[in-house]
Amino acid sequence: MSRRTVVIGGGSAGTGAAGGVKAVDKANEVTVYTDFEDIAYSPCGIPFVHGKEIDSFQTLFLATKEDYVRVGIDIHYNTTVTSIDVPNHTVEVEGEGTVPWDTLVIATGFKYADPGVPGADLDGLYYVKNIRAAERWDARLDGVKQAVVVEASPLGVEMITALAHRGIETHVVDPNPWALGEQADPDIVAPVEQAWRDMGVHLHFNTRLEAFLGSGTVTGVRTSAGDLPAELVVVATHKRPETTLAKAAGVKIGTTGGIVVGEDLSTSIPGVYAAGDCIEVVQGSTSIPLQGLTGSHAYAQGKVAGSNAGGGSRKYQPVYVPWGMLAATQMVGGVSFGETLAESLGIPHILGVADGISRARYYPGVTKIRVKLLADPATHRLIGAQMVGGEGIKERADFLAMAVRVGITIEDLATMENVYSPAIGALNEPISLAAQNALARLQAK
Amino acid sequence: MAFSRWLRVNSEHYLTVAAQARVARRHGVTGPAAARGAKAFFWLRIFVPVYRLLPWKLRHAVMRSMPGSHRRQWTYPDRPAGPAI
Repeated sequence: MSRRTVVIGGGSAGTGAAGGVKAVDKANEVTVYTDFEDIAYSPCGIPFVHGKEIDSFQTLFLATKEDYVRVGIDIHYNTTVTSIDVPNHTVEVEGEGTVPWDTLVIATGFKYADPGVPGADLDGLYYVKNIRAAERWDARLDGVKQAVVVEASPLGVEMITALAHRGIETHVVDPNPWALGEQADPDIVAPVEQAWRDMGVHLHFNTRLEAFLGSGTVTGVRTSAGDLPAELVVVATHKRPETTLAKAAGVKIGTTGGIVVGEDLSTSIPGVYAAGDCIEVVQGSTSIPLQGLTGSHAYAQGKVAGSNAGGGSRKYQPVYVPWGMLAATQMVGGVSFGETLAESLGIPHILGVADGISRARYYPGVTKIRVKLLADPATHRLIGAQMVGGEGIKERADFLAMAVRVGITIEDLATMENVYSPAIGALNEPISLAAQNALARLQAK
Repeated sequence: MAFSRWLRVNSEHYLTVAAQARVARRHGVTGPAAARGAKAFFWLRIFVPVYRLLPWKLRHAVMRSMPGSHRRQWTYPDRPAGPAI
């Protein structure tokens, strides 16, 4: 029997959900409500248009509005859902009134953490999210000489590099002692920070933002280390789950602030599913919930939630979180735990670190790669990794996430086979070297 | 804010700060700036040391006793042993 599903949110999770609903049964009706003018674009590409690596915002669009019409997905743009009525299975929609649903998918995404300082209503504060706004900001960047990026978070890292590429004098203000302070280790980000300095970026770590300065338009920031002039401030604070509608409807929220879901991505309310940055999912090694993953996680979750909302029976698995990005001239990445995160939780671990190379040392374009592995001391199973290098980080992060997931040990990695071909791989794989170093440390004890 | 959320937000932050300090010392780099005030004193001087004294199994059990997605059903697939063919 076909169903009518309403999807709240048109980001990665929302579009994935809409497709999931239709994939189960073409006769299913699905309506997506989005606050924005567009859908089906990659917001992750926005920093690279700002940095001129990509020449236009148009290339970030993955599908047209007509594509969705053709497959029977009804999308309402610039339309806000104001409330969810669970007992009556309806939503209230601005300008449209009461809309019924058989099943609902909440894909309301995230909001940036409020910096909590005076001046937050000044013009010139850029929160990167929406592609049309990004186009307007991009034009504005042409006239900017000095900018501040608040926090070297994952988005902040990309925007710092983008602004530096444009020749803008860029200052980074971050209360952490190093870049990506909540997820990366200092030895992993050190090459990134040096590369930024070489690009002329000014790094102010252990520095708190105290106010945005200006009258009407921002002219600078006040920090715990003094004032910095700025014609534009990129606010890249932590992404918090947007759960206002869900909370008001009585949906259970977890310790991360994200919506509590099961493996079928159902919420605490029957017939209501959720996906994306607004939910918390389970980390596979520890069974601890976490929130705020990547676009690929959001899209996959959307597919599962939408499929189940449409009558299917799919499951989403616990996550191991491979991550990676381009930061200055380096690639950084990892899986689950790094040294700092494992230390903070107090997870027992053994470490193995190695500095290797990405290709044969004599082949042009060869770059350094540092690999750090963490393993459980009792079982020697891999539990995490962090890496930095000029290339090859994403592939290694993907591989190591799968390694953690299936229970591969450091012995397995120490004796792994690897591709050796001078143009694409070195004789000694850095992952294997790191695992061998971990074993050597164990044997030396 | 629910107690469990309040606990997670604060413990996560201050455990991270304490870990950054230890890891920074190990790597010979600058660690986090000194945190001041009664709140920081409680979390860094009382909570963190007590937390670190507890065995991992106990800490883990407390974390898993909190409300959240992990209390719902999540399946870990079986992995067949032996060669594929």
